[in-house]
Amino acid sequence: MKLLSAALLALAAAAAVTATFLPFSELLIKLAPDQPQTAYVTTGWSTYFGATKDVHAPLFGIPIAAAAAATLAGIRWRKVAFAGAAALAGVAGMLFVYLLNAISFHKTGNIAIDPSLEAGFGNGIWVLIGATVLAFGAVVVHPDD
Amino acid sequence: MIGRPTAVALIAAGVVLTATALILPWYSTIYAGDVEVVVRAWGTEVVHKPGDWPAGELSPWYGVPIAITAAFLTAGIWINRAALAGAAAQLGAVGIITVLTISERGHAVEQQGDFAIGYGLVFLAAGTLVALTGAIAAQKEAR
Repeated sequence: MKLLSAALLALAAAAAVTATFLPFSELLIKLAPDQPQTAYVTTGWSTYFGATKDVHAPLFGIPIAAAAAATLAGIRWRKVAFAGAAALAGVAGMLFVYLLNAISFHKTGNIAIDPSLEAGFGNGIWVLIGATVLAFGAVVVHPDD
Repeated sequence: MIGRPTAVALIAAGVVLTATALILPWYSTIYAGDVEVVVRAWGTEVVHKPGDWPAGELSPWYGVPIAITAAFLTAGIWINRAALAGAAAQLGAVGIITVLTISERGHAVEQQGDFAIGYGLVFLAAGTLVALTGAIAAQKEAR
């Protein structure tokens, strides 16, 4: 069981870090009706509006990487694994709410003007939620300290 | 060791600070013409809103994850494990809020806005750290 929980925790941490490099949200935006569509893509380390990089992009990757590190340290201590899994749940939950806001803001603002525009979650958030589930699974099979 | 009663008191103090943070403003930006954008846990308020303000106001549900972690912390007054889960999850959520606030500040300053942190964020950070201290102490007492 020790080996299984260690493997699950390592996998959860790796998945969480991988998630930071994947898109969290993908929004297609038009600034004016006659302008071309531009993709607005947010990952854990950058936000791009078309080819333009947002220099003030939120670095969601930092708290995610910290939670992943705690999860990895949980291989040694069950209580740390539990705290790491809870921290992953916290970052995933808060990020999800933020993305939900950004997507619904975009839908009421832009898509109302042009229905061909789209907005949705990227794969990153699903991988992050998957990592959270894996981490809690690892806690369940983790032998007591 | 600080003892179980002190640990519980810290967790309870964390709950009160967090609950206060859910009411107070988190941050605000003042732009030219006295236009002020105030962000709270349950919505964005634009004071002196001009007619050409971009359509659609952000009405965040930032309070939802924090209300959930605060509920875990409250349960944590009686159950050690709930306190640890609530404090760790709230720390994670505060991490996301922190990077988001830094980003918002950057955008506000770029648009010549006067950015200010509200008491809500200060109380949230304090409440999270106090509750985490209590939760960790409660874990050590349990052994």
